[in-house]
Amino acid sequence: MDGLALTADVPIAELPVRDADAALVRRAVGGEAAAFEQLYRRHAGRVHGAILRLVGMDRARAEELTQDAFVQAWRKLGSFRFESAFATWLHRLGVNVALMDLRIRRDEDAMGDDDLQAAAGGEVPFCAAERGDLERAVAALPTRARAVLVLHDVEGLKHEEISAELGMAVGSSKAQLHRARGLLRRMLADR
Amino acid sequence: MNIDNEFAWRNELRKLGGDAQPQRDLWPRIAARIAVRPATQRWRMGLGLAATLALAFGVATLAWRAQSASTLPIAATAPAHGATSMAADNAPLAWAVPANPALAAASRDLDGASMQLQQALEQQPQAVFLVGLLNRTNAQRMRLLRQAPSV
Repeated sequence: MDGLALTADVPIAELPVRDADAALVRRAVGGEAAAFEQLYRRHAGRVHGAILRLVGMDRARAEELTQDAFVQAWRKLGSFRFESAFATWLHRLGVNVALMDLRIRRDEDAMGDDDLQAAAGGEVPFCAAERGDLERAVAALPTRARAVLVLHDVEGLKHEEISAELGMAVGSSKAQLHRARGLLRRMLADR
Repeated sequence: MNIDNEFAWRNELRKLGGDAQPQRDLWPRIAARIAVRPATQRWRMGLGLAATLALAFGVATLAWRAQSASTLPIAATAPAHGATSMAADNAPLAWAVPANPALAAASRDLDGASMQLQQALEQQPQAVFLVGLLNRTNAQRMRLLRQAPSV
């Protein structure tokens, strides 16, 4: 980011978000923990939010994983190439940390495939729900179905990206999304 | 109200997105964890430098010993076993073995200790005391070499 040379003396708060992040990253790479703390303050909410949804609203676990994500970010800062926004890079890193945790735990699935298949029928209409109800319903989904639904419908990732992140075929990602939506419809209809 | 079209569905779910601040400040623990790394790196750099210097010192001494071999009563290898002094000179980090049997036994003990210390250092590069032990062992080995000509 050539523009940074021109903005070196401009206070961070006055820089556009992306330039401010880049300036802070450069200082953090140089070992300045205070700059990294500013990056944490600016992005903790987004990273924690994504992780929280992926782990089914388990706050204690989400906070542990958010810490892990920022520690990893500090270690990997030197590999950040400034080709994408730092926020995007960090968000992806946080998602990866959460998915790695999900892969390790493998608490899939309290609900069997048959249940998932039955729930996948699209005949149940989706009822608008309060945010809290929706969060609880998403959190109650089986791990893998929840991960696909959150990544696709909430975080906006494509099936190709999700399949790469979760180590599954693109078709499996689409099937899991279909099942997750079916389950969610049923859960909300039963409220 | 039923929402049975894709757009409305996605719209509802997207509302779940966005920021969610942790309930407590995570920074103090993150700071504590990342503070370890640079320190560890500095130690490792220091340890690496110390080990390299010790190694360079040993190699330089070996080279000096090889040059002076004709004037010193120390066999680079034991001729009785058929090894050539050339092979010993080319062996990296191989200390010359004193001809005196008592000193030769002591030198073997020191060489064994040195090797074990280097292996331990590879496994625990942050262990400062191992570097100290390795340097002390190498220094003793060096003193043994210096004493050998007068035996």
